[in-house]
Amino acid sequence: MKQFYIRSKVEDKMGVIYLKGHLDAHNVGRFEREVLKLIGNNIVKIVVNCNELTYISSAGMGIIMGYLDEIREKQGDIKLCCVNKRVYEIFDLVGFTEIYDFLKDEQIALNKFKNVS
Amino acid sequence: MFPEKPQLSINIPSKTDLLKMIVGITKHVATLNHFSNSDSQKIALAVDEAITNVMKHSYNYKKNENVKLEYFSNTRGLKIKIIFRGIPPIFDTKSVDINKLIKRKRKGGLGVKLIKSIMDSLIYKTVDDINYCEMIKWKKKK
Repeated sequence: MKQFYIRSKVEDKMGVIYLKGHLDAHNVGRFEREVLKLIGNNIVKIVVNCNELTYISSAGMGIIMGYLDEIREKQGDIKLCCVNKRVYEIFDLVGFTEIYDFLKDEQIALNKFKNVS
Repeated sequence: MFPEKPQLSINIPSKTDLLKMIVGITKHVATLNHFSNSDSQKIALAVDEAITNVMKHSYNYKKNENVKLEYFSNTRGLKIKIIFRGIPPIFDTKSVDINKLIKRKRKGGLGVKLIKSIMDSLIYKTVDDINYCEMIKWKKKK
């Protein structure tokens, strides 16, 4: 049984990664490959859509953290959207809510990128 | 005092595909012991983080090693003991600065921060080549 699903799209030179299900150390490699694929294609304005994400451990958060500096050096950023209350609490515990923009929907997150480009 | 005999004891091989199962079991044990859904989910995450650390740092992702989990409960709280061999964990006792981790492009370092944020007590010790991780979560006073 698959426990984690990931897909992404590129729109107006911005990337959106959709996370679904349970993201932990077992499947984090798939998330990392998706982030690296976008960076490799010079897509550095990235929205992580967590609408269907039910669980995240530090392994998943480590990917969001580990590439942020490189992405910001390239004038990009990572924004998170559609995070449910329980997952938001976990992001908050490690201090992500002070470092990343958390937006209530994907379009608002994409518009924020458009406003600064 | 927690009872000497665990409420539940589980032996698992050191395979990351079992982490989700352990999260489910731990959440269930915490709920049975009258922790809220939110606290049970967090306790399960703390156990996930501790076992992931064992698989990564102590066993270097070797899949043929063993991890034993023991759950002890009383009216005041829940104690979870993780017993494993391999390289004893060494953790920086200083608080983790997330901005420094970002600057150093680190992908790790958040697991222990999460455990310490969630649990009320975290102790690692090694006795006769066997490593022990003990964590306790007390129930909120009503």
